[in-house]
Amino acid sequence: MAISKRNEGAKVNSNINVTPMVDVMLVLLIIFMVITPMLQNGVSVDLAQVNNPERMPDAEKEDAMVVSVMRDGTVYFRSDKIPVDQLTQKVKDRLASQQDKRVYVKADARAKFGAVVAVVDNVRSAGVDQLGLLTDQKKTGHGAPPPPPAGGQ
Amino acid sequence: MSMAVGSGGGQNADMNVTPLIDVLLVLIIIFMVINPPQPKGLDALVPQPPPPNAPKNNTPDRTIVVQLIDRGAGQEPGVKINQEDTTWDGLQGRLTDIFKTRAEKVMFVKGDDNVPFADVATVIDIAHAAGVDKVGLITAKIEAGG
Repeated sequence: MAISKRNEGAKVNSNINVTPMVDVMLVLLIIFMVITPMLQNGVSVDLAQVNNPERMPDAEKEDAMVVSVMRDGTVYFRSDKIPVDQLTQKVKDRLASQQDKRVYVKADARAKFGAVVAVVDNVRSAGVDQLGLLTDQKKTGHGAPPPPPAGGQ
Repeated sequence: MSMAVGSGGGQNADMNVTPLIDVLLVLIIIFMVINPPQPKGLDALVPQPPPPNAPKNNTPDRTIVVQLIDRGAGQEPGVKINQEDTTWDGLQGRLTDIFKTRAEKVMFVKGDDNVPFADVATVIDIAHAAGVDKVGLITAKIEAGG
């Protein structure tokens, strides 16, 4: 039988069938596109830009306590929207089992400081004394004191 | 058999998928290489109330509080070091002067409710640049002693 197949040499199709490969690639591509925005903790906000922030690698750990303050003052603990006064309980519950006792505050640059203060007050009541205020690295300008940002809207 | 039918006319009916695969591979590699940017931030402390039986040894006259005063919407907020007015440009110099001779580099930041958070972050940033190790946030509740 094998010999008879070889005899059909003229008709052998030498093209690789790439359709399954394309299928797999497309699925991989879609997976990566979906996962990439999910990798960051909490909700995405427009962070304040400062000249010399420190690196905070712990803030992207799976169990980091990230509190986000949106521009209009709404508060998210990790990815869940919660009223500010429930923050104390939430943080307290997690604090016992947590390696990293620090709470990361991810506040929008245009959020009113009063909203941040409310978060700080509630986090403080839970017994946290170390905060990380997440910011972005300012793109330009090194060393020189930053020009005052335009206040208000 | 189907192959035989397809090639019967001498035309290749297969689509050329090689460029498609090329593009897909490059896209996959791009998405794999892009790492979400490392989070960065500013350190801040929140003063906890002292234990009730702790000895009172704080010296209030040496405490530095930078205050942000709201001047209304659209205006950049005013800055005060303790009760003394300063400018944004002169803030870093003043702080550097003050903390040059001090061992404990501790400072507090206080702000009006309507000040945008970006300005507070800028003050903390300037403080870190001026060599202050510990920046504490003071809220109205902390000030009241709660």
